[in-house]
Amino acid sequence: MKEKVVVASGLCRQFEIDDVIVEAVKNIDLTVEENEFISIYGASGAGKTTLLNLIGALDKLTSGKIVVFNHDLGTYDENFLATFRAAYIGFVFQSYNLISTLTAIENIAFVIELAGWPKERIKERSETLLKMVGLDHRANHFPAQLSGGEHQRVAFARALANDPPLLLADEPTGNLDTETGLEIVNILKKIKEEGKTVIVATHDEKLLKLASRSLFLKDGRLME
Amino acid sequence: MSEIPFPIKDLTRRKTQTTLTILGLAISTAATLFLIIFGSNLGFEISFLAKGGRLTSGFSNIFFQFILIVSILNILTGPIITSFLIHLTMSGRMRDIGVMKACGCLSGSIFAYFVTELSLLVFFSALTGIIFGVAAYYISTIFLNAAGFSISQTLNLGTIMVICIVLIIFSHIFGALPIRKAAKAKPTEAMSPIYKLGTTAALGKKIPSKLGLTFKVAFRNLLRRKSVTSQAIICLTAVLTLTTVTIAGGMIANQTTTSYVERAIGRNIVLVGHPTLTDRYVNLLSRFFEDKEMQQLDYLDHEFLISESLVSKLDDIQGVREVDPRLVLEDSVREVPGIVLDSVEQTTAVIIGDSRSDEALILGIEPEKVVNDWLIFGRKLGENDQESTVIGDSLAVNMFSAAQNQSIKVFEESSLPYDIVGVCVDPLNNGKVVYMPLETLYRDLGQHGYNLLFLQIDASEKSQVLAQIENEVSGENLNVVELDTILDKHVSFLNKIWSLVMFLPFFSLATAAISLLSYLMLSISGQQHEFGIMRALGAKPRSIMKIVFSQALIIILVSGAIGISAGLFITFRFLIPDPVISQSTLISVSAWLLVILGLLCVSSLYPALKAVKKTVVEAICAI
Repeated sequence: MKEKVVVASGLCRQFEIDDVIVEAVKNIDLTVEENEFISIYGASGAGKTTLLNLIGALDKLTSGKIVVFNHDLGTYDENFLATFRAAYIGFVFQSYNLISTLTAIENIAFVIELAGWPKERIKERSETLLKMVGLDHRANHFPAQLSGGEHQRVAFARALANDPPLLLADEPTGNLDTETGLEIVNILKKIKEEGKTVIVATHDEKLLKLASRSLFLKDGRLME
Repeated sequence: MSEIPFPIKDLTRRKTQTTLTILGLAISTAATLFLIIFGSNLGFEISFLAKGGRLTSGFSNIFFQFILIVSILNILTGPIITSFLIHLTMSGRMRDIGVMKACGCLSGSIFAYFVTELSLLVFFSALTGIIFGVAAYYISTIFLNAAGFSISQTLNLGTIMVICIVLIIFSHIFGALPIRKAAKAKPTEAMSPIYKLGTTAALGKKIPSKLGLTFKVAFRNLLRRKSVTSQAIICLTAVLTLTTVTIAGGMIANQTTTSYVERAIGRNIVLVGHPTLTDRYVNLLSRFFEDKEMQQLDYLDHEFLISESLVSKLDDIQGVREVDPRLVLEDSVREVPGIVLDSVEQTTAVIIGDSRSDEALILGIEPEKVVNDWLIFGRKLGENDQESTVIGDSLAVNMFSAAQNQSIKVFEESSLPYDIVGVCVDPLNNGKVVYMPLETLYRDLGQHGYNLLFLQIDASEKSQVLAQIENEVSGENLNVVELDTILDKHVSFLNKIWSLVMFLPFFSLATAAISLLSYLMLSISGQQHEFGIMRALGAKPRSIMKIVFSQALIIILVSGAIGISAGLFITFRFLIPDPVISQSTLISVSAWLLVILGLLCVSSLYPALKAVKKTVVEAICAI
């Protein structure tokens, strides 16, 4: 029997903006098993990013319960959640979010340095990952010197640096042209073949086809 | 729509930044005001006008130098802080400026809006600064007067006005520079999310990697905001230079002036003489810190003379190290013009001086027996000196053009002139003293004898020796006075003055902390997004705090190294001639400076804490 990676029940997330309460995620029940490739799709503002943030322990839920790798995320403090993210989660953001003051290789190494790996292994792992995404020749370039596609490839390499069992990707091809988007799809294919659990929020048909299961979000609710 | 409402609204909506800017400028104004008003009542005016008064010219000179240098540094620091804080403010408003320009607002109008804001800030700061400065001044004088001194509480409104006008003008000039630069930015640049004044993409490839991830990120973040970082360093350097001059200068000047007094009066000195004369001498010595009316006195009255046999008896007491017999009197002295080489041409001789005259205390001494060890510019009187004198610092400043190149006539205009071989720093009679060989004085007066004896006694046997001295003089109508009591009053007076001046480092410290906090808060608001990413990748809040703290530490260390070195250079080069520095003073100065740097580091924890207060998602969304 496969291990349950994510178990969410009655998951709600509300935001209060100037006395107005916005419900981004409403009463979601969700189970994700290991090695699954799940895509979440829906209109802009449907709550895809909020759901990924909740699964990735980036955001706190308003009510309900979410257990990821047997950790009830609602019960932990920020320090624990940081360690949890470093150990279990790889996150790819829509807007790349590379650290502008670190080079491509340093962006990848950052995650493993946080995990306290030995220096030689950090270097070796970062170089391997850069090679995997085809950017070994850009190792010492700063984000400002890379193109959008290159940004996203570095972001993928960084998300995989710590070899996390769960990869979350928020619209990874959203800001890219078709050709560059294909490169990202190919990277995700490789990741899928490696057997990692992947949850992708996307509108991209190629990514939707790649998924073993697709979930449709509308106004914060999961539609069957 | 009028131009006034926009700046006021803008300022009130940015409460923290506005408050920090007003506080920074107000503290700078308050420190300058306090120093100048307080100083003018203690010696600045006296020394500046060279008319004597309390203290002596030598001591006033140190106060004058101190007050002058610290005031100049204060006046310079104020506009530097203004410029820096306005630069920070403008950095945070670049996008607004871009939008305003995109909507068709002219650069001139934008400049006018923000200069109006600057004027409002400067006006409120000046007002707050005046209140703080005058309050600090009154508290200081009340404290000093309660301690038994009589310091005037008169406020010179003219001085306050001049200081404020100077600071307001300077602040406007320096503050308008970053506004002008921001108003000139292109709309596309100004609206770009990464564009801030001084932000650069060039980060330098070689960063010492051995220093670790935190340091690397912190260092690169500083480099990325090169212009603002260098402004922060300049600002903190100026403040730390001022702080160092105030602390090191204040402490060393205190020790130096105390040492001057101790050397001039001497430790373990006992004065023996007729009660009228010893009282008179004590009063003359106390003029340093309190002004007393004194009647005419015939110092040469036979009743005041001390017999040779008593001098011998006192000299024979075990524990009396030296007996320094003197003949003391008050009389008029006259300046004798001197001839010196022209300072420019160096070949022609010019006559300096006039024939100014004054009243002074004249002391006939036996040079080889003198118990005092004054700070002397020039040289002491030697055994073989016959026609030479050493004069007090106030007399030298007030009555001579270049005392050591001139001569002095004592008593009458027709008497012989004596060379001035040295100028001593002496609190006696406010430095209006003339020391001359006893034999020469006898010859001029046509009278012999001593009227005061100065005995240097052994400190370890003080009470026994004093008892023996009193025993010897009993029945002779002579008084025995321990001068240590008077000396302690002098030292206490100086300590109190300098301890009040030591308020100033707190002003400087507050200014430094405000500058640093403003910089860090702006810097953090620009980095919040990246801190969010780092946290999303697994960085703990502590790691983010470490990065912020490292940034503060780098700035503090760089500014501290430059500022403290500059401060020490100014202190030793310009502030105090012939400084006296003991090991304990050095330790105290170092400890104070370390405490200040430490407090600055601690103050940086507040923005560091603020940096991790937001949730990861909030931080990532912040641009």
